[in-house]
Amino acid sequence: MRTKHSLWPLVGAVAALAVLASVGCGPKRPPAVVTGGTGATAARAGATPGDSETPEPPFAGAEIQPIKDETANRDDLGNVATGDEASPLADIYFEFDQSSLTDAARAVLVRHAAWLAAHPDARVVVEGHCDERGTVEYNLALGDKRAQATREQLIALGVAAARLRTASLGKERPIATGHDEAAWARNRRAHFAVSR
Amino acid sequence: MEPIDSPSRPCSSRYSRAVAGALLFLAGTSAVVICRSSSAQEPPQPASGVHEIVIGGERQRFALPACVPRHNDEATIAACRTISEVLRKDLQFEGIFQFVPDTLLKAVPQLNPDSPRFDDWKAIDAQILVTLAADVSGGNTSVSLRLFYVDTGQSMLAKQYTGKADNPRIFAHQAADEILTKVQYRGIARTKLVFTSDRDAVKGKATKELYIVDYDGYNPRRVTVNRNLNILPAWSPDGRDIVYVSYRGGIPELFLAWIYEGRSQNFSGQAFSPAFSPDGKRIAFASSRSGNMEIWTANSDGSGTRRLTSSTALDTAPCWSPTGQEIAFTSDRSGTPQIWVMDSEGLNVRRLTTVGDYNDGAAWSPSKEHPEVAYTSRIEGHFQVAVVDLATHQVRQVTDAGGSCESPGWAPSGRHLVFSCTRGGRWQIVTADREGRRAQTLDVGPGNNAQPDWGPWPTP
Repeated sequence: MRTKHSLWPLVGAVAALAVLASVGCGPKRPPAVVTGGTGATAARAGATPGDSETPEPPFAGAEIQPIKDETANRDDLGNVATGDEASPLADIYFEFDQSSLTDAARAVLVRHAAWLAAHPDARVVVEGHCDERGTVEYNLALGDKRAQATREQLIALGVAAARLRTASLGKERPIATGHDEAAWARNRRAHFAVSR
Repeated sequence: MEPIDSPSRPCSSRYSRAVAGALLFLAGTSAVVICRSSSAQEPPQPASGVHEIVIGGERQRFALPACVPRHNDEATIAACRTISEVLRKDLQFEGIFQFVPDTLLKAVPQLNPDSPRFDDWKAIDAQILVTLAADVSGGNTSVSLRLFYVDTGQSMLAKQYTGKADNPRIFAHQAADEILTKVQYRGIARTKLVFTSDRDAVKGKATKELYIVDYDGYNPRRVTVNRNLNILPAWSPDGRDIVYVSYRGGIPELFLAWIYEGRSQNFSGQAFSPAFSPDGKRIAFASSRSGNMEIWTANSDGSGTRRLTSSTALDTAPCWSPTGQEIAFTSDRSGTPQIWVMDSEGLNVRRLTTVGDYNDGAAWSPSKEHPEVAYTSRIEGHFQVAVVDLATHQVRQVTDAGGSCESPGWAPSGRHLVFSCTRGGRWQIVTADREGRRAQTLDVGPGNNAQPDWGPWPTP
């Protein structure tokens, strides 16, 4: 690969030749006009800017359209789509950058398993959430681990696996919007979106 | 007919490639005159080998006088003003030209845009003269662009654009890209950005929708309208589709949006962080559908799903190399999140980043001249955009904001980056060159705007 410095003598020479070629070495010829469509150039002596082009969106006649067929939105199912609506099952909380269950969280999950045993029609999306510290992707992976760990524990406590789905929300939907330890602690959680 | 570049928006873009036969500017007034056919010459080097238009040791001095209205009506004058401003910003964005100061431009007598008096421009030491003239009538705008080499009066470019009058900026963007073609650059003035925004969220319901803007932040258009979470958008290499993660079905799933048709389709199970392969045929993504977060690929119609990683660690955030032969991704298999690279079949896994204890969100530069990977790195307690050189493994920090920056993506030229930063109490979209210079916070609208991805070259 050439360096930019070693390139310049060549560039200058090519440029000089290109211009000289187009004016035919004659000192007083009318200047050539470079015209042509995108990507192609053609020299035409004496041409005027009559080469007309219509700047178009990338695809002729097309404009970016909002998506209008989004009827599959499941707001009405009362699951993850609506955010932080009240759940019969309380959130559990995690330590910073951890997905292992605390003793307090395990105690809560014992009660949740009992509630789910008493409500056999209930299905749950276990949401894993993170605080805002950290990157989008890593927090989605961490939230996923939190949701999975929570789901596994509920299965171990006797809840049928088919009733439990998981969804990581990473740092995308904090319940507390502050930027301090109190807010972060509230956001490191698993939320239980229950549909019946 | 020029073939379309092989589509390779890897983590964010495509190669730049020289336009065959494009002319170069001639700078030296004392250049040695050799009369020979240029066709016998070695073709000029590709644009990727050119960094600054420096001939004879100086940058070209551009004179960019105000657009001349063909009529004195308000619409024409307003369009003319916009086109002048936008063209100047587009050319300045590349950082490769010098401009004759406005004060000197004003000293030049009335400009005839079709037949300038070159002595006027020589007098203020201009080397390249760009003239614009516009005419708005009957709902149409017509713009003439001419480019002259001042010393000889040589015309380098003469174009007339006609189109609807509603967005004069598009004429300037087109003109900028054509001017750059003349110096063997491929301009990005007509490229677009996609990002996610919470501007439509209502109280008690945190939603994020996808938006598209021009590369300079103007002309916002909403893509998703489902009052849910729509995140992590990534362009297809042909610029027609965007793949993204939507929670509209209750769990995170991949959707493909045909943005010029206004429709979308779910084509995969639970997944995060999608990225199109450079040929547009496959999509890499992360999913924990097997129980642990791993890297997967699927055909772009959702068929042919394959798992590439198999570790007990978190593997996420895949992005393709510009050749499509390798995939960079984040893994914490070494104990902390780091960027790793494997071949696109999942073999030959090796660690890329060794500096820092938290690196994520790789974006592989499309540049052939500068093979490098941008990513987000925790530096002194804040997240910043960093770039690692693939040849030397040298790391350079691109952002130095008081807050955090993350989610870098490359312009298709590989000369610029887009990312999001906390600025003024919210997440905003920022562009900068690959060294982090000339950072600009784009005014893309209200709310938190994040996770940008820079679209491919416009289709000719």
